[in-house]
Amino acid sequence: MPGGRVCAACGCSEIEVDAARGDAVCTGCGSVLEDNIIVSEVQFVENSGGGSSAVGQFVSLDGAGKTPTLGGGFHANLGKESRAQTLQNGKRQIHHLGNQLQLNQHCLDTAFNFFKMAVSKHLTRGRKMTHVIAACLYLVCRTEGTPHMLLDLSDLLQVNVYVLGKTFLLLARELCINAPAIDPCLYIPRFAHMLEFGDKNHEVSMTALRLLQRMKRDWMHTGRRPSGLCGAALLVAARMHDFRRTVKEVIRVVKVCESTLRKRLTEFEDTPTSQLTIDEFMKIDLEEECDPPSFTAGQKKLKIQQLEKALSKKLEDFEGEISSYQDEIEIELENSRPKAKGVFANFTKDDPIDDSTSSILGEEEAEDEELEAAANHLNKDFYNELHEKDRAKTDEDGKCKNGNEALVRPPALESLLGPLPTAASLGITESIKECISTKDREPGENTGDGELDLSGIDDSEIDRYILNETEAQIKAELWMKENADYLKEQKEKEARIAKEKELGIYKEHKPKKSAKKREPIQASTAGEAIEKMLEQKKISSKINYNVLRDLNSKGSNTPKKEDDSTDDSTNTKKLSRRKSIASRNIANPVNSVGKRLRPLISTQLAKKAATEEAIFPSTQAEAPDLQKPAAVLVESGPVAYNPDEEVEEEEIEDDDDHCMSALQLMGGNDYGCDMDDDDGY
Amino acid sequence: MDADSDVALDILITNVVCVFRTRCHLNLRKIALEGANVIYKRDVGKVLMKLRKPRITATIWSSGRVMCTGATSEEEAKFGARRLARSLQKLGFQVIFTDFKVVNVLAVCNMPFEIRLPEFTKNNRPHASYEPELHPAVCYRIKTLRATLQIFSTGSITVTGPNVKAVASAVEQIYPFVFESRK
Repeated sequence: MPGGRVCAACGCSEIEVDAARGDAVCTGCGSVLEDNIIVSEVQFVENSGGGSSAVGQFVSLDGAGKTPTLGGGFHANLGKESRAQTLQNGKRQIHHLGNQLQLNQHCLDTAFNFFKMAVSKHLTRGRKMTHVIAACLYLVCRTEGTPHMLLDLSDLLQVNVYVLGKTFLLLARELCINAPAIDPCLYIPRFAHMLEFGDKNHEVSMTALRLLQRMKRDWMHTGRRPSGLCGAALLVAARMHDFRRTVKEVIRVVKVCESTLRKRLTEFEDTPTSQLTIDEFMKIDLEEECDPPSFTAGQKKLKIQQLEKALSKKLEDFEGEISSYQDEIEIELENSRPKAKGVFANFTKDDPIDDSTSSILGEEEAEDEELEAAANHLNKDFYNELHEKDRAKTDEDGKCKNGNEALVRPPALESLLGPLPTAASLGITESIKECISTKDREPGENTGDGELDLSGIDDSEIDRYILNETEAQIKAELWMKENADYLKEQKEKEARIAKEKELGIYKEHKPKKSAKKREPIQASTAGEAIEKMLEQKKISSKINYNVLRDLNSKGSNTPKKEDDSTDDSTNTKKLSRRKSIASRNIANPVNSVGKRLRPLISTQLAKKAATEEAIFPSTQAEAPDLQKPAAVLVESGPVAYNPDEEVEEEEIEDDDDHCMSALQLMGGNDYGCDMDDDDGY
Repeated sequence: MDADSDVALDILITNVVCVFRTRCHLNLRKIALEGANVIYKRDVGKVLMKLRKPRITATIWSSGRVMCTGATSEEEAKFGARRLARSLQKLGFQVIFTDFKVVNVLAVCNMPFEIRLPEFTKNNRPHASYEPELHPAVCYRIKTLRATLQIFSTGSITVTGPNVKAVASAVEQIYPFVFESRK
């Protein structure tokens, strides 16, 4: 049967398709083009009753992979691939939640489609499945226009609304689905039903709807939760129809706070509509629209601010007068004051008093800690003097006292800006010059040299920020007190670790380092494979590589199966060394007992280790012997005995002698070891 | 960049966030003990230092990275950052002022009219998102500028962006759209 295709190898178009074997083979060169061709035929099988039924199984659209076993099936998810499992899980959860919300089947299916889209866009990664599912369901609710709130979903799941909202917004954005805006009118029937108005349910709902529309026109609904507005509307509507519904009952249904409801009611009160009677309201619709309540509140604020400004202006005028009187009084007093001499001479200046003292203080503090104590002492005397002078003055009290108080604490910034301490007094001339000069060199480029540009920086203020020793101590104490709990915890933890260390149980919980993944070695011959692997590995100086290579070349003479197994085993860990060891050591035990081999071998290994010290005949003679058992027994060795071998490796490699003798110990040259023994391992 | 082209709108920058590196390891304990204006948060491993002159709060990590918030302009932020580095220098660390970068700018702007939010959302579908249940403002994202605007029904708009220019151009961009949906 010509397949209508061209063979890739030879280019001839004579391709034979064998339906029975399911092959497509080129008759020219013999290359197999297709294997396991899928056939779309229906086969029939005869039943016991005589009828015939089609052969086959139903496979679900979502599912993939193997069908579950007939007998088992404990876990429906067993054996399926991850994606299918996720989808199935999601479907189950959607149905579960959806039933609680009383959503119909169509909605649930749509929600599942959203979920599938989300999974394909990897939006479920890093998020709780429940959140994503809730978002899908809410999206459906929005698009269908069902009266379900995000609050309902969060109630069911006991999750924060805002968290759900975030997930929902993300989902809507990623899926490019525009959820239509919520209309509070949607919620009215639902809440009305919950408030149990009986026969008049419909009328109350209609009244509430009208109220809501009025509210919308009055700009009460933008930026507000729709449930709050509904609550207010329903409350009023209920009262209009002589139903006594308290605020508390409405709140329980609508799920807003009492204060919110009250606020909405007061806002509504402010609108002109509230002045109408019930009948008037049902008939007439006022034309004018109101401003939104937040806007009117904002306007009120603006007005108040303006008033305040006007007031303060007037105050300033008055203050101007007062200060001029103050100055005059000051001057008078100055003239009548006795002059102080010595150190305090410059202190007796009028306004810059604060400045000069602070600047001097600044200098002292910066330069010398010892001077500080002296300065404090001096200051005290000065303060006393000032205080006496203060009492003499009348209006100056407040001003000067504040100045003094400020002195005790870090002085006010404005006063500092007056007479600045010079760079010389601070002792940082050089560093400043350096910084400034570098700035000149590269104006505006900081990343280059990283020097700090000091233009405009007041060092004095920065100095304020550095505490002296006593202050530092006090602060340390305070901090300790504050953070006592945390420090206690840390101490307990350390004590625990120390105890564990003593007992030797201490496990350091290091972050798990994922195992290094090595690329599988691809080589055409076993020899190549060994070489490549040797390159990859940390090579020990104790291995005789020549021997290893010869081993393999010898091995190629033996039956094909061994070669394969050597290839396989080269890819397992530490094979080359193992090979020699294992083959050498385990040669014979493999042949002998079945299950008891393992313990036998381990004892043999122990024995061998113990006998390390013994002197054995030269290796040369053993080399040829080695090869044979090695070649023959390679396959079984590493598979079973790697863990044991690990430890012994180094020692073993040293002495080929041991191995040989061990082999000899085990006695015999049963080279015809059965391939069957492999199966046991 | 000039926001006052045809509209006399006042854009007030309320917050500028910037980061820089000191290229040296900082001993938080020492800073905490010797600084008068610092808060030491040992559990998260950072020190908060507040400056008065440009009113900024700086978060300092022991790796040498420092984040400054609270400035009202880009220049002020740089100034404050330099001051901070200077004070760290005084405390004894070998500070080098590198990698200064303004990360975020927050500005507020007021429109002289109110805005209909549901209408605005409908007209600006992919960029605008409005969830009255969650937040009373419309969140409008401009991808090209990497800026986000929060538009309130009173006409007040809050803009956040990577620098002052982006913020200004964002306001310019949004003005026509908002004008359409005004009350």
